[in-house]
Amino acid sequence: MKNTIRIERAIKDMTQADLAEAVGVSRQTINTIESNKYVPSTVLALKIARVFNKPLEEIFMLEDGD
Amino acid sequence: MKNHFLFPYWCRYLGWGLVILHVPLSMLGRSHGMINIMDPQPRDQGIFAGEHLFFISTTLIMSAGLFLVAFAKEKIEDEQIWHIRLDSLRWAIFINYLVLIISLIFIEDVPHMLELNLWVPLIFFIIRFRWVIWRLNQSLKREA
Repeated sequence: MKNTIRIERAIKDMTQADLAEAVGVSRQTINTIESNKYVPSTVLALKIARVFNKPLEEIFMLEDGD
Repeated sequence: MKNHFLFPYWCRYLGWGLVILHVPLSMLGRSHGMINIMDPQPRDQGIFAGEHLFFISTTLIMSAGLFLVAFAKEKIEDEQIWHIRLDSLRWAIFINYLVLIISLIFIEDVPHMLELNLWVPLIFFIIRFRWVIWRLNQSLKREA
């Protein structure tokens, strides 16, 4: 699963730490999600989408292998 | 992530304290054992014998220490930490059973096998868990 968190953060001018605080996780977690090393739970994915005011599918997309 | 019980963060330091305390205590126990070996009197037997109580208390101190270190909360206990915790536990159980089976086949020293079986899962869990977190922190530093 890939995501556009890095782009969305740049649009909103947010740091990883800002986003981490907004959704209640550590900076490491945001970092690993951005680099596609960790797939977040549905709850966390929904929280992230809510921070960016966008539907989930615009932030997280399935890849061919998924 | 609020439904799972873990010890408070400060318990990690208490745990390390107990693990460190175990070292001089077990050394004392060994010297105590050596005195007993030289002693012509037979050793006390039974559950309430001094030696047995000493062995139980030092083993309990070490086990409680490792347990607190392993199951104390991180500063930020989020779902990824929980995921790493579970994965490390899985590896710890694998390794423990591998060690147990190998020692069952090749070693006849049952009391030491029990001690090994008590500590290997916790020690391996702690090493694996801390190592993954350290790697995460390193990758964060590299990106910063």
